[in-house]
Amino acid sequence: MESDPARLPVDAEGKPLVPRPQPGYYPKFSTLSQQAFWDAATRTVVLQRVTAPPPVRFFTAPEAEIIQRVIEHVLPQDDRVPERQIPILPFIDERLFAGRTPGYRFEDMPPDGEAYRLFLRAVDLMALEAHGAQFLRLPWHEADVLLQSVHDGKPSGAQDIWKKLPVKHFWTIMMGDCVEAYYAHPWAWDEIGFGGPAYPRAYFRLEGGAPEPWESHERHYAWDLPPGCVSGEHEAEAAHTDTPTHGETGSH
Amino acid sequence: MSFLDTPVGGAFRALQDDDHHLGPMQRITGTMRCFRDDEEVDYLVVGVGSAGGVLCQRLARGGFKVVGMEAGRFWDSERDWVSDEAGSHGLYWEDPRVIGGTDPLTLGANNCGKGVGGGSVHWAAFAPRFHPSDFEVYTRDGVGADWPISYQDLKPYYELLELEMPVAGPAWYPWGDPHGYAYGPHPMGEVGNTLIRGCTKLGIGVSVGGPVAILSGSRGDRAHCIYRGFCIQACKVGAKASTLITHVPDALVHGAEVRDRCMAARIELGKNNRVAGVHYFDREGKARFQRAKAVIVSGYAIETPRLLLNSACPEYPQGLANSSGTVGKYLMAQAGNVIAGRFDELIRMYKAPPAHCLTEEFYETDPKRDFARGFAIQTVGPLPIAFAKQMMAAKGVWGWGLRRTMMDYNHWCALGLLGEILPWEDNAVTISATDKDQFGLPVAHVTFNLHDNDKKLIAYGKNVVMDVMCAAGAEEVVQESRCAHLVGAARMGSDPATSVVDGFGRTHDIANLFVCDGSVMPTQGSANPGLTIQALAARTADYLISQGTAIFNTDRRDMTPPPVRRELSPPGTHGDGVPRLK
Repeated sequence: MESDPARLPVDAEGKPLVPRPQPGYYPKFSTLSQQAFWDAATRTVVLQRVTAPPPVRFFTAPEAEIIQRVIEHVLPQDDRVPERQIPILPFIDERLFAGRTPGYRFEDMPPDGEAYRLFLRAVDLMALEAHGAQFLRLPWHEADVLLQSVHDGKPSGAQDIWKKLPVKHFWTIMMGDCVEAYYAHPWAWDEIGFGGPAYPRAYFRLEGGAPEPWESHERHYAWDLPPGCVSGEHEAEAAHTDTPTHGETGSH
Repeated sequence: MSFLDTPVGGAFRALQDDDHHLGPMQRITGTMRCFRDDEEVDYLVVGVGSAGGVLCQRLARGGFKVVGMEAGRFWDSERDWVSDEAGSHGLYWEDPRVIGGTDPLTLGANNCGKGVGGGSVHWAAFAPRFHPSDFEVYTRDGVGADWPISYQDLKPYYELLELEMPVAGPAWYPWGDPHGYAYGPHPMGEVGNTLIRGCTKLGIGVSVGGPVAILSGSRGDRAHCIYRGFCIQACKVGAKASTLITHVPDALVHGAEVRDRCMAARIELGKNNRVAGVHYFDREGKARFQRAKAVIVSGYAIETPRLLLNSACPEYPQGLANSSGTVGKYLMAQAGNVIAGRFDELIRMYKAPPAHCLTEEFYETDPKRDFARGFAIQTVGPLPIAFAKQMMAAKGVWGWGLRRTMMDYNHWCALGLLGEILPWEDNAVTISATDKDQFGLPVAHVTFNLHDNDKKLIAYGKNVVMDVMCAAGAEEVVQESRCAHLVGAARMGSDPATSVVDGFGRTHDIANLFVCDGSVMPTQGSANPGLTIQALAARTADYLISQGTAIFNTDRRDMTPPPVRRELSPPGTHGDGVPRLK
């Protein structure tokens, strides 16, 4: 992924922020540097993720190209230098290849693999209907707008496909898969200041948001959305009044 | 794995090639009793989770031949568990299921465990008791249902299980039937501090440091909590209670077999309206049949009704033990809205157990409100993946908006509503006409609709939690609608026409078939169900032991309450030298 300056987050003056190895407010923080203090099973799982992402086996090469482009829009990483961008597609592909479910299928949804394939057909058809071009050939902003309509639950075209693919359920599943890959990566933990695995060492400073001796203090700086970017924040109530989606991640 | 074909005393096998770890210090080093399929065991317990673990332990101590059959793995905590969200999917029941209704319940990681210990391996371990009012909701409020048993029937078992897990908490707990906890409360994380600050501003009482089934001080061969925050990814520390580490080892010592990676397919109805055993698929996928004098289904609120419905036979065409048509119905989840607040200050909510502070100030019906029953407010501590999903739902963020929100992860604090949803007939587990699992068994189809009282309760409750978050000083407060926990779907009752089992968990239809797990609950209060599930299991076990061989030989239904057998507790959890309050 080459970074187009127009797609970069900007500083207080609106100037693009230069891509860096580690975005976020914890510049020197590295969870991987603490791996000697992790238990062996955890270290194996996390290092495997970092060093050997699974091969792409479910999606065909043309499908993989489209889904990769979608991922670059829905979970952009232009602010990361290319060698520190976090692979997402291989982990989605692996789940679909293995036929793993999150533990359910909505009664009005096809199985997840089929759903992804319907989605890929839908974005291409939407691009053709609106712009007379395949999705991959759309200018960046137009592709963003197209995906925004899917996010909003009001896809701008390909209505026959969306009849078979409830749009909000699919969006939730796809975005869930994306964050499940991105925020599983230690580079993302470094970015957001998450301390990561702490067995058997433990956390000691529980109160006041204090860092452990091996964690970093936050260093905030001006960071704003790329100009013209449509994937900002949106009112939840507007997005979810008609079909409330219930989260799947347990925390009680 | 070594099978010894010594006939004397039966066959035994080692669990693993070498030590089997349950936390850094506890080990299973001995061998496990192994029963043959054609050997008629006394009790076959289907599902070794919160209830199944306690049942196997008690019944084995009671001298019965017990097999606990578990679809998932017999975990080794050092080898199989990781401090990692994405690496923990094996803990959850992620086999195929279909969900629908107006408010589909997402299953899997949210509420369904797989493997020995079941849901108690990945619960957050809040362990409050139900209130006395929970057992008579219909009498008091004219909604829901009454239980066939009272709080007083269960109270001795609450006291026992609070020591067996054990539960840490304050010395004085003011809500429901006031009581205290013998094991000291946990230190606060910043999420707990936030709940305390918000509640104190609004004059709401708070319970600090529990009740939660996590060790605040080391005990025996279990270490105390190290506050690493990965409770729902299973506790490698061995501080959080799961039946895998609290009850299953004692069950093995007393001769129970825990047969893991075996999926029950169908309960066989034999002669004289009595069940004869269970058809299952073993770990190689081979179809087998285990004979048993009595069967206890402990598969939780989805798999228990699924197994009964999949066991339909000419005598019970709409499902085994389902002459009432109630099996699968009155399924409940609790409202589990997550309210997230962004603070100027850092929170770092990944530290400390998600469960460490709560209030039950709003638990009971309040005539000033326009709905029956109430709710609790609890700390939650979502890790990054969970929190990203919550923010996508709560704020509608994606793309750069999502990245920006997540860069502030350490400024966010999350609190959970835990609201009582009433039992409704249309919230039901049925059998899917289309989908099958890896064994070719029809999967569960789960329909869930929120009703008027539920919606009013959630709307009110979530506003209270948002008020608390604002009072604590949050500059931005958002919320995500979700549900937590599952109970009901094979409820207990005194009327065989409207319930599946009696007050001891025996099915009304078949004298040697029992259900014992969360699915027997007629209502659920706004307390996390884990403690109550285990307390019910200990009570059912006492009943079965007091009935002796009558369960195996007669259809007589003796409803005499059994004596409380404190001596059946695991070693070191009762008697002299064990911490207690009085």
